[in-house]
Amino acid sequence: MVQYDPGTLQRLPVRKQQLLDVFARFGNHRASRAVTALPENAGVLDDREIDALLLTVHWEMQRLAEEFYHGHRVWELLRPVVTSIRQAGVRETLRIVDLGCGIGYTTRWLAAKISLADHNIEVVGMDFNSTLIAEANRLASAEGLPCRFLHGDALSGEHSSHILVSTGVIHHFRGDALLDFLRRHERRETQAFLHFDFQPWFLAPLGSLFFHQLRMRTAIARHDGVLSAARAHHARTLTEAARASVPGFATGIYGSRIWGTPLPRVFHTLIGLRPDLVPGLRRELGRHVARLGELR
Amino acid sequence: MTLLVLYLLALLDGLLCGLRTSMGRCPLIRKRGYYVRALVRGVVAAQIVSVLALAALVLTGALSPHRDALRADLESAAGRMLRIFLPYAALVLLNLALRLLPSTDIRSATSVFMLGPLTAIRPLVMIVGVLYGLSKSRLLETRLLGLFILALMLSFEFSLNRRAARAQAVQIRTLV
Repeated sequence: MVQYDPGTLQRLPVRKQQLLDVFARFGNHRASRAVTALPENAGVLDDREIDALLLTVHWEMQRLAEEFYHGHRVWELLRPVVTSIRQAGVRETLRIVDLGCGIGYTTRWLAAKISLADHNIEVVGMDFNSTLIAEANRLASAEGLPCRFLHGDALSGEHSSHILVSTGVIHHFRGDALLDFLRRHERRETQAFLHFDFQPWFLAPLGSLFFHQLRMRTAIARHDGVLSAARAHHARTLTEAARASVPGFATGIYGSRIWGTPLPRVFHTLIGLRPDLVPGLRRELGRHVARLGELR
Repeated sequence: MTLLVLYLLALLDGLLCGLRTSMGRCPLIRKRGYYVRALVRGVVAAQIVSVLALAALVLTGALSPHRDALRADLESAAGRMLRIFLPYAALVLLNLALRLLPSTDIRSATSVFMLGPLTAIRPLVMIVGVLYGLSKSRLLETRLLGLFILALMLSFEFSLNRRAARAQAVQIRTLV
């Protein structure tokens, strides 16, 4: 629905027929119906209407993050990672970048709920979508939150980060694109990355369909939620890709099973950190260390 | 007593409808004030519905040639409705209480496995509750009143939702 030139970050026109052709190729009639209903001008999607729809969808999606206590989930893992980096002797302000942040729920939650000064951390959200970044900045300023949002590519040479975080982003990268995405994490200053995403399970698409029908109000949000659950990467795909792409990090999965039972959590996390940080992380996780899979 | 319990359940339903229709429509992080206003809106709307239902009840009673029989019939229908509504309300409250536990797993599980499905079946619970309540009623007035109240209950969340959607659309228009 929205397309940007990856070099200049300029917004590009999106032809409705192009989108319809993509979904027709996959035989995805539900998506085709949703696209058909999108407002257009002479075959090109109407930017203003699309932006209004995107904001509506992202406001709705924040509701899911709130319902699933996503801020708590991120901090539960981020805090021990930050502490383990400190224990390794890093004294400077740690820059945590939320890539593909959308309207920046995770970043704003951290800025609102955690004393960033006490931990000597700064939080920054980045996204390719300028409308979402403008909204994230508006919301942060409305509440006077100590965080900022930048329009751009978090993994480009212009931006640095000690810890990279994302939510629901990594399933968008597949095959070589996944390897390339992870390869770009390998930078001298980057100490860790945490990618939160849906965990695939045979019941996940069905559960997601039911849940999104109940909770989401727009056709696009309903469709996207189900598609995300269906496209989510298995733990093995993620760890194999990470181990092949970023051998300088110890990588593994955090939080895949509930309380040691075979039941999967809705979200799991691809975690990567510099090998010397692993013992500190294990210590800092405390009783949650059982949630940490093999890191190598 | 039975009518009082039904009234309290209507207020609780109003409270939760107000909350539900406001969710996903305010992207701030700190929004206690927003949710308090939503809860108040829900309670006020439930109050309006209750007043309408009471007015219909009083009017029917005043016009009925067999007032005592009508009262007994209404009491018995309302009592039967509670057999459906009370367990449902208890289940909702129990799951809301579970969300107070400081565990992201428990909180997420209540949302996925209980509160979501309980929201989905709310209209069905209303229909089954009222029809079960009316199933043994002897008077036409009781049945008509029951169906009138059912229609009010079902249109209640719809109206709140429409109002919230309009307000959200206006707000988003100012942003793009």
